[in-house]
Amino acid sequence: MTVHLLLLLVVLGQVVYLCSRHRLRFDLTADSLWSTTESTRTLLGRLDKRLVIEAYFSPKEKLPVTLRESRAIADNFLDEIVQLGHGRVVVQRFDPNADKAVADRCQRIGVKQVDLRSTTSTSISVDRHWQGLRLVYGGGKQKVIAQFGPNSSFLAEALLTPAIKEVTTDQKRKIGYMEWPAHAAGQQTPGGIGWNVLRTHEGISKRYEFQNFKDDDGALLPADLETLFLFRPKDLTDRQKYVLDQFVVRGGALVVFADAAEYVLGPQRAFARVPFQVDAGGSTKPFGDMLLHYGIDWKQKLLADMWGDAHTPRDRITQAFEYLAVPQMNAFGQQQLVWVPYPYFFHARDFDWKKAADELSKQLNKDGRGQPDKELAETFRKLFVAGMPSDDFLFKTFKQIGRGPGFYWPTWVGLRQRAGGLLDLPEDVEGRVLLWSSPAVLVEDAPQMLNPIGQNPQTRKAEHDKFLLKLKERFLAEPRQQAPLMAQVRGRFSSFFAGAQRPKRPSEIKEEEAAAAAKDKEKAGKDAADSGQKPDATPEAKKPVDGPEAQKPVEAPKPPPEPEPLTKGDRPGRIVMIGDSDFVRDDFVRGDYAQAGGPYSILGPAFFVQLLDWIAEDSDLVALQARMPVDRTLKLVEEEATPTADARLQEQSLRSKTSWLRGLNVVLPAGLLAVFGLCVFLVRRAQKRTFLTSLGS
Amino acid sequence: MRETLVIFRRELKSYFTSPIAYVFGVLFLGFLLFFSSQSSLQHGAQASMQSFFGLLPFLFLFFLPALTMRLWAEERKLGTIELLMTFPVRVSQLVLGKFGAVVAYLGLVLLLTLGLPITLGVFGRVDWPPVIAAYVASLLFASSFVAVGMFWSSTTRDQLVAVIVSLVSLVVLYGLGYPILIEWMADWMPAWGVDVLNATSPYRYFESISRGVLDTRDIVYFACFCGFFLYANALVLETRRHRG
Repeated sequence: MTVHLLLLLVVLGQVVYLCSRHRLRFDLTADSLWSTTESTRTLLGRLDKRLVIEAYFSPKEKLPVTLRESRAIADNFLDEIVQLGHGRVVVQRFDPNADKAVADRCQRIGVKQVDLRSTTSTSISVDRHWQGLRLVYGGGKQKVIAQFGPNSSFLAEALLTPAIKEVTTDQKRKIGYMEWPAHAAGQQTPGGIGWNVLRTHEGISKRYEFQNFKDDDGALLPADLETLFLFRPKDLTDRQKYVLDQFVVRGGALVVFADAAEYVLGPQRAFARVPFQVDAGGSTKPFGDMLLHYGIDWKQKLLADMWGDAHTPRDRITQAFEYLAVPQMNAFGQQQLVWVPYPYFFHARDFDWKKAADELSKQLNKDGRGQPDKELAETFRKLFVAGMPSDDFLFKTFKQIGRGPGFYWPTWVGLRQRAGGLLDLPEDVEGRVLLWSSPAVLVEDAPQMLNPIGQNPQTRKAEHDKFLLKLKERFLAEPRQQAPLMAQVRGRFSSFFAGAQRPKRPSEIKEEEAAAAAKDKEKAGKDAADSGQKPDATPEAKKPVDGPEAQKPVEAPKPPPEPEPLTKGDRPGRIVMIGDSDFVRDDFVRGDYAQAGGPYSILGPAFFVQLLDWIAEDSDLVALQARMPVDRTLKLVEEEATPTADARLQEQSLRSKTSWLRGLNVVLPAGLLAVFGLCVFLVRRAQKRTFLTSLGS
Repeated sequence: MRETLVIFRRELKSYFTSPIAYVFGVLFLGFLLFFSSQSSLQHGAQASMQSFFGLLPFLFLFFLPALTMRLWAEERKLGTIELLMTFPVRVSQLVLGKFGAVVAYLGLVLLLTLGLPITLGVFGRVDWPPVIAAYVASLLFASSFVAVGMFWSSTTRDQLVAVIVSLVSLVVLYGLGYPILIEWMADWMPAWGVDVLNATSPYRYFESISRGVLDTRDIVYFACFCGFFLYANALVLETRRHRG
């Protein structure tokens, strides 16, 4: 018997082993969570040289539990890559712990180890683990992933595929930018707050090359530049606008992060407005008109979203500083940050605002004793739209959390409309609004001060109440509307400068002025000669010129002649405008004000990274970027549809519903089985009695 | 085949006429659904059955030996096994019939848990194919444990011995696929040894299917695993029949 069983064990072991070598695998998940995307397959299918992936992995048996899962995912993914590579991808495995030379090589090329301390009752030891990769394409270009520790196959692909793309292509994508820094904290003069934190972020700078095209002389943008970012445009000259116009007309993608007003926080957190103008003095073509010409309606107004949830941070307890919080003592005598509502810092919500029509009409129906005004509600239903209507991959991750990134003192950026609210886009141009505020938005000219809490901690609460009350009064007096926060237009744009004279470059103007001055001088000299007078001779003119300067007059190199202005483009251009630039500025992204209570743009960097990829439309990586799991969040109660709903009541209702559902799920199946068992027992007892009775009789 | 079906029906019926099926079912469902609904049914959580299928193997580990202990041991204790052996059926048919009945009973119990994914589906977007795959994986996993339990039950007439030996062997099999134990083994065992032992654990294959990936390797493993223990079970009974 034992021999029989041993033989069977060996045979079955062989069968399982063979099946694991030649297996069929079906990923049943709707999001294809465990399969590679088309991006990776296309990329690997296009390899014309050998891609060697050097895996510097310490043995998985020695790994702690926390890293074991990650190793399994990494191994699986590498196996899959090798299969998809059809011989062009080779994985070479090295154990740096077993070979000192390999460990040295790791140090040299930049693969980093993880030192984990393990403690037992008698000893403490530090274990060194390695899990890094080096990609070498065709024996030439290399890329090192210092630590490759994906916690899902999603992440494994998101890390490795762009790296393969980087190593197999020669150039990074070029993105041009022009920036006008914000006022630095505590300074009243334009300072250094730009978007360096993002631009120099390792993940971004490795994939994109940023080049500053803010040229004082207003040179036209190079023909090979496809994307241009404008950060906080201000003091724009007509020439600069002409440069931008020609860029979009010839088919470039222009992304504008715009502000209607600028407020300085400073160490005192003054929230004071600083002078700001979009158009330079002397400019005859307003930037707003130019955008309107392309189909973008930028109202240079400030927005405040009164909907409670729109200006509430994602996590009120641990990230109260995302918007505005104040330090307070808690019951244990510790200082903690407590969020205070400040409607000028808010986000778009992934919510269909039609659902809020009844509630808003109820608030506005003064005579209806709390009843919704049906006619008004119907109008609202027609007017209101979803806060995040686009399904583009840019928004997919944000839809999962139900909201967009936080915007700080944002402005209105919508599409050009005719009277009656109908879209009025230029010919050959299509557009859409990508983010909307809630219908409880206030649109206003930027006030001089926007400090909601004052400077005195003692009167902070009273100040804040007063601030909110004022806003509420204005809110109730104004019509309900949603404000667009981000819009896009694409198509073949016509030039804003068509039919007008091309604005000249400052150097051209100078040249012309110099030529005119010389002409005048010559004329004056001629006149003087005609009248028999000696022409004026300045001391410099009289001075003899010696040395090399005599042979080589100093002259700025002449720029090449400009091409004729384009009036209508052959290729479709694209303009994306976002009604805020503060969410990407250095101090907000770095969290400089986090300790003081915010604001801290927590989601801004993620949005920026996604935006870059979305704008770049990198065809190789599109499937990868779009690969976001479907939102499967449980919504046990409907999203609240009112800005004034009592949070406590909502929580109570949620709690009772949750308990009820849990109870039902436990009691019903177990109870059903128990009742069935009881019935069987009773029937059987009755049968037994009948049987015994029949025996007795 | 007909004989196997007869045995299967008789066994399944015996479950529902004895209190063991109800006691087992109510306790099992109570534990499983209570703990998994605590973490699954939460506003804002993902509509996922992860906690349910995370807990299921652990509960099988403790409940299944109790279910399988009586399969042969009780027959031997009551002396009904002699009667069974005189039936005009082969031992393999007896084994398959009993095995099928336990698996069918477990399938019915698992069906009673469908309320949870349905609730999740009402309030969120459940990804159904992986859930169905996980149910299939659970049944395969349970089948492998039942096969082991049945084997041990056939070797003894004492139900307590059967349950203890089953429990120990299942804990070992379960542990071989459990990361913490693998880590511990790796400290004193060569890597290939750890790999081989890890490859024998049904838990590893259960995890693979329950995440939503249907792999022929996993299906073949479960088939081989059950086949091996059922064959061993039949062999033990056959030997005993020949010995008289």
